[in-house]
Amino acid sequence: MFISIQNVCFSYPNTGKPALDQFSMNIEKGEVISILGRSGSGKSTILRLLAGLEKPTEGSLTIQDEVLFDGNTFLQPEKRGIGMVFQDYALFPHMTVGENILFGLFQLKKSDKKKRLQEVLELVELQDYEKRYPHQLSGGQQQRVAIARAIAPNPHLILLDEPFSNLDAELQVKIRKDLREILKKANITSIFVTHDENDAHALADRIVKLKDGCIDLIGRPCDLIGIHPHPVPQVTPMIEERELMSV
Amino acid sequence: MQRRLANVNGWTVSAAIIMILLFLPNITIVTGIFSPSNENWVHMKEFVLGSFIRTSLILISATAILTISIGLSLAWLITQYQFPLRGFLKWALILPLSIPPFIGAYTYHGIVNYTGVIQTTLRDQFDMVLNPAHFDIMNLPGAIFIYTMFLYPYVYTITRVFLSQQSASLIESARMLGKGPWRTFFQVVIPISRVSIIGGASLVVLEVLNDYGVVKYFGIQTFTTAIFQTWFGLGDIESSIKLAASLMGFVIFILVIEKVLRGRRQYSYSTTKVRPLPLIQLKGWKAGLVTTYGLMILSLGFFIPIAQLIDWMILTFGTIPMDEFLTYVKNSVLVAGISATAIIIFALIVGNFSRLVQGKVAKLLPKLSILGYSIPGAVIAVAVVTAFIALDRFLVPLYQMIGITTTLVLSVSLIMLISAYIIRFFAIGYNSIESGYDKIGTDFRDASRLLGVGVTKTFFKVDVPMLKGAIISGFILVFIDILKEIPLTLILRPFNFDTLSTKAFQYASDEKIMEASQASLLIVGISALAIVVFYKFLEKEPD
Repeated sequence: MFISIQNVCFSYPNTGKPALDQFSMNIEKGEVISILGRSGSGKSTILRLLAGLEKPTEGSLTIQDEVLFDGNTFLQPEKRGIGMVFQDYALFPHMTVGENILFGLFQLKKSDKKKRLQEVLELVELQDYEKRYPHQLSGGQQQRVAIARAIAPNPHLILLDEPFSNLDAELQVKIRKDLREILKKANITSIFVTHDENDAHALADRIVKLKDGCIDLIGRPCDLIGIHPHPVPQVTPMIEERELMSV
Repeated sequence: MQRRLANVNGWTVSAAIIMILLFLPNITIVTGIFSPSNENWVHMKEFVLGSFIRTSLILISATAILTISIGLSLAWLITQYQFPLRGFLKWALILPLSIPPFIGAYTYHGIVNYTGVIQTTLRDQFDMVLNPAHFDIMNLPGAIFIYTMFLYPYVYTITRVFLSQQSASLIESARMLGKGPWRTFFQVVIPISRVSIIGGASLVVLEVLNDYGVVKYFGIQTFTTAIFQTWFGLGDIESSIKLAASLMGFVIFILVIEKVLRGRRQYSYSTTKVRPLPLIQLKGWKAGLVTTYGLMILSLGFFIPIAQLIDWMILTFGTIPMDEFLTYVKNSVLVAGISATAIIIFALIVGNFSRLVQGKVAKLLPKLSILGYSIPGAVIAVAVVTAFIALDRFLVPLYQMIGITTTLVLSVSLIMLISAYIIRFFAIGYNSIESGYDKIGTDFRDASRLLGVGVTKTFFKVDVPMLKGAIISGFILVFIDILKEIPLTLILRPFNFDTLSTKAFQYASDEKIMEASQASLLIVGISALAIVVFYKFLEKEPD
């Protein structure tokens, strides 16, 4: 198994309720996983725990037989080899596109750095934008830079936090397709969280539905179509009519 | 706890040391309360303490009411109406803040006294001889006038920024519901701005309690003047510590009142889209009246004293040897520069610590270390001297080992003065840095760490460049405050060490008012320049 997450629990300080309760799953190399849930379901917490930005109360995470955390070990975020694309991209505003991408490549030789930069820029189709600053780019371009920056150091795993929430509807459809292509081309294992079923179905190899910090459903997109264990309450026509009448 | 302190190491240790050092001297004051009382203190408690409290209460309440009236009315007029010179007045009305109240005090005294421009003109040009008593401003109402004219910008700035961020729909709804401008002002504007009004007014009150220059010059007995007299006049450090502790108690009382007045009501927007108010065009006599009002306040708080200072400077230019004057400039820049740099470095460390850790205790500690700004300079001076003398006693064996024969080394050096500045003004730098950290959030830091860069390298490569604005503005604010500082500098400076402000104060105290103008103008000039840069160029015009 490439990635193994076992019984991870977490609660934020000063809150009694666990944000995540006994979360377990295994992921194959190159798989695209979507974590689907409403706000407050604990989906962003999983990403922060995997990244090492929060410390779990229990559980373990192993990538390629290396323990990232368990009862005895806690590897700092910078040592994990996990990339992350933040919801608002977090591109360093004082650095150009090129400098942003090179930021994580400090261990490479100068010539390798240059080569890698060109590779990832090509992957996200932004070859001519190396010298631009983040504020000179559109939302979609900023997102692609953020992806390129996260992919550049060749992480084992890349985490994407609500990757489409800052894009307008038309752009979302296009970027969704592009993103899947980029991820598959780079053969990078990835986990992204979203609250939008369409995103999850269009992008993911497997979907994890999360509710109140626990796994509600897990499966391939085609397996989950039509399953509504918790139907959304509908407004009955009678009430609508009454409201209309009172107006 | 182990989990909360994840990712923290050297940062926690350095932050803890800084916070303890900032807080420690205040403990000497608190313990001073419990030391046995001597004769002086018994006498003071019986006869004069009551009158100090009464005088302070009159000074702060009258100044608070007047600064609120002026500051709030100006802020409202500027945010709501369009009138001639509005654009200029909007930022110029902050300028009186560049004149330290003690400079304002001796300048106004110079203007209205028997040989001053008003009485001389009346005598010489109009042959009018009036009773000089009518022109005496060296009394309580005079001090209130001085404080009001030079401190109202605190209320003005804070409420104006608050009002300009208010959504137009709030004010417009009040109008649509049939309220005229006056009722809107009293029923909507004042209640929603309560927090910012009280915030501005409490800054004014703390400045008044901290002040030494004005009350000393005018001969008004308050806590700060009494602390000086007990110490230097009677040589009684214990009683001055007790006085300092009483003043600290008084300040805490004020801070509690502020908290109660603010209440739990922190109004915030229910929507993120805040539409600024469209300005209402004033015409005719109304426009003239508003412009005149603004110009009158600005003249009283800035133009009149500046004109007088320039006049004096021209008259006395050359009487002070240039090299002597340059030494004061050099000293001022040196102590202010070192202290401001240290404050910014400490603030960056403590701010980063506060951001890295979670939990209530860790968040509370930095708040405690910024208490220094509410504690008057004279109290900090007493605390720091006591602490440094104790430190010197402790270090005597070390001094002897390295061949120093005197017992007082640190407590007669510049280090003591600089430490006191750091304690007193840490809050100013910290607030700026903290809001900078808040603005950038934690995503950039997290992103950098996930790209394999450690905490310390991230701090230098990502945080510091992004905090550049906050670092520069924090540095300038602290620098200017130290440049104008009086009580700490007077008590703690080494022998024969003068700065621009102590020299200006001494000249004025020796009734060499004109000679004081040169140093004063330089202080005011630098402060005014910084204020203009801050508010005119850095602040984005919201309307």
